[in-house]
Amino acid sequence: MNGLGPIASRLRTVSGALLGILLVTYVYTVANAPIDSVQGVIQKILYVHPPLAYGAYLGFVVTAVCGGLYLWRADEKWDRLAIAGAEVGVIFCTLMIVTGPIWAKGTWGKWWSWDPRLTVTLLLWFVYLAYLLLRSFSEGGARTARFAAVYGLVGIALIPLNYFVIEIFGGRGMHPENLERGSLGEGMGLPFLMGNLTLFVAFWWFVLARWELENLRALGLAKRADPMARAREEIA
Amino acid sequence: MSYVIAAYGITGLTLGLYAFHLLRSRARERKTLVGTQESNNG
Repeated sequence: MNGLGPIASRLRTVSGALLGILLVTYVYTVANAPIDSVQGVIQKILYVHPPLAYGAYLGFVVTAVCGGLYLWRADEKWDRLAIAGAEVGVIFCTLMIVTGPIWAKGTWGKWWSWDPRLTVTLLLWFVYLAYLLLRSFSEGGARTARFAAVYGLVGIALIPLNYFVIEIFGGRGMHPENLERGSLGEGMGLPFLMGNLTLFVAFWWFVLARWELENLRALGLAKRADPMARAREEIA
Repeated sequence: MSYVIAAYGITGLTLGLYAFHLLRSRARERKTLVGTQESNNG
């Protein structure tokens, strides 16, 4: 009656415990990170904004991959995992869109600029927000799941565009360039790594918890629709 | 400094509330499921 496979359930428990340790280390390393000589303390937003972006990308990749698996295997568990990936991805993307302008206001002096990276990020957010709206407004069923799977697969094309748009526009936008090896100052690598690790583990905890919830809802619907389901499940 | 606190505060609060929502919804679904099973068993 868990609603999750035993391995996935154990993974969620382990990731939850690991998250507690990582969170403490993350806060400690960010608080003790050196102050950037050019930007000042506001540069510390760097330790949360890009990790949120990677989480958002990962969520949409989970949606696309699981959508593809659903089209291939017609197994509803993949569709439910695709929903979980999209929801967590949209939450991470929303936070990326919120933390970015906070940094921009303190650095550029304005909240928003129609810079290529910012514009494509907003588009990416709208695409997967529409995916969630589609899922919540429809009755469900195989037809909706198939359409959502194709939609999720098409939407993923925006991720490489989002990542490389700065290079495509030749660095003419306002958004800083993508981080490369050596672009961080001394002592800034560890808090950045901790930010990525913490939000990566948090991402998987959220996805597994959301997947479990979706599985429980599906199980509940099936049982309400068919009182014999429990008996069949026990026999199987 | 206020911008940094705002960025981390909003992120922490949002993710914390989302985690709380997921755990509460899961508990509610489990409770409903147990109720359905008991009602199915008569």
